[in-house]
Amino acid sequence: MGDKEKEPVLEDDAMGSCSAWGNFEDDDVMQQQCSIQDDEAKKFPYVGDKEPLSSLAAEYQSGSPILLEKIKVLDEQYAAIRRTRGDGNCFFRGFMFSYLEHILESQDNAEIDRVKANVERSRKALQTLGYAELTFEDFFTLFLEQLEDVIQGKETSISHEELVLRSRDQSVSDYVVMFFRFVTSAEIQKRSEFFEPFIMGLTNTTVEQFCKSAVEPMGEESDHVHITSLSDALGIPIRVVYLDRSSCDTGGVSVNHHDFIPVATDLPNASGSTEKNNPFITLLYRPGHYDILYPKGG
Amino acid sequence: MTSSSAASRKNLSKIACNRLQKELVEWQVNPPAGFKHKVTDNLQRWVIEVAGAPGTLYSNETYQLQVDFPENYPMEAPQVIFLHPAPLHPHIYSNGHICLDILYDSWSPAMTVSSICISILSMLSSSTVKQRPEDNDRYVKNCRNGRSPRRQGGGSMMTKYDN
Repeated sequence: MGDKEKEPVLEDDAMGSCSAWGNFEDDDVMQQQCSIQDDEAKKFPYVGDKEPLSSLAAEYQSGSPILLEKIKVLDEQYAAIRRTRGDGNCFFRGFMFSYLEHILESQDNAEIDRVKANVERSRKALQTLGYAELTFEDFFTLFLEQLEDVIQGKETSISHEELVLRSRDQSVSDYVVMFFRFVTSAEIQKRSEFFEPFIMGLTNTTVEQFCKSAVEPMGEESDHVHITSLSDALGIPIRVVYLDRSSCDTGGVSVNHHDFIPVATDLPNASGSTEKNNPFITLLYRPGHYDILYPKGG
Repeated sequence: MTSSSAASRKNLSKIACNRLQKELVEWQVNPPAGFKHKVTDNLQRWVIEVAGAPGTLYSNETYQLQVDFPENYPMEAPQVIFLHPAPLHPHIYSNGHICLDILYDSWSPAMTVSSICISILSMLSSSTVKQRPEDNDRYVKNCRNGRSPRRQGGGSMMTKYDN
């Protein structure tokens, strides 16, 4: 409880450094900085083109040697990167593209049926939580349409090119991102006892308030809590590879990753296959941002 | 000033139109207590009458809210202001602009016109003093657009409500 008062104090301190400018300019400067950041982000499409991994190294040419070492390690396992716009939706956007691309390429009907059943479970969870149907139904419909459209051999089937275009089209892309936000929020609230300690640690708010302020609004960045709950809700494993400056104790350079494996029993390939623990979605995390990674030979 | 932004407004997208029709039907069946939607044929601008809740500083007073919907509603928040005269409240400027986080950064498509109305009434009802925001004159004088304030002085003005 005592912690509750800490946050505003911190905020005031941060503001204090600017206060010599006078309050007036403060607001203007802050708004301007916000809009500069927004404009920078908007120059990049929601989902970029597939680029060779060397483009990642090029970014750090004059930068930290440890990062360059780590990128060399990544280079052994991964062939390509597809960047996403840094607008706070990058995790959901990367997940969206990566998942739909996987379905388009694998044409895995069992996976489609499995995920559809989980989507319906999420729909029920939202209803049970008291969400008005009209607030979420359009988002569900739109996602299910995308899922149908990546199945080939139908009149509505779309090509890989079209998938890229749709992922860059706000009227599709943002709706699918919002669909994932609904699914994530529903899962967190459905299992609020499980998520509560993590959420308290992050923000010191209630589970419901966390969902209202950090999951449901567009542009709110994703944390472990979001990833865990989305992965669990849809039953889709996700690998996150971490690229940061941390070095390991043994002296050698290695790149850490974490696999988010759904708790549900109906995993894809759950029939004893070794692929069970091999997520088909891999995201590269750099502090504050997620992009898509493509494994070699994949 | 209150309608200055309307000129550049784009028409509602099909999906926005759909959603608003549904919200309108839902409102007609189940309107939030204390609110009356003044029926017009304009789906993109709603004018809503608010009655101050009994037992609060605003009981027996009525005000009018103007709600303008952006092209890509509900991905983007509607623009909500009080028409003149705006209630005297520490988070409501004399030009009708409202300091409420769900109208800006905390907006999400999970909210509706109805839930915004409930938050605004709750903001009115919890007020213990009838006065303008401290920076009212400065804000109103410098206000360049028809939108309510995004974030003032690092967010200290912004009201957070749990509805």
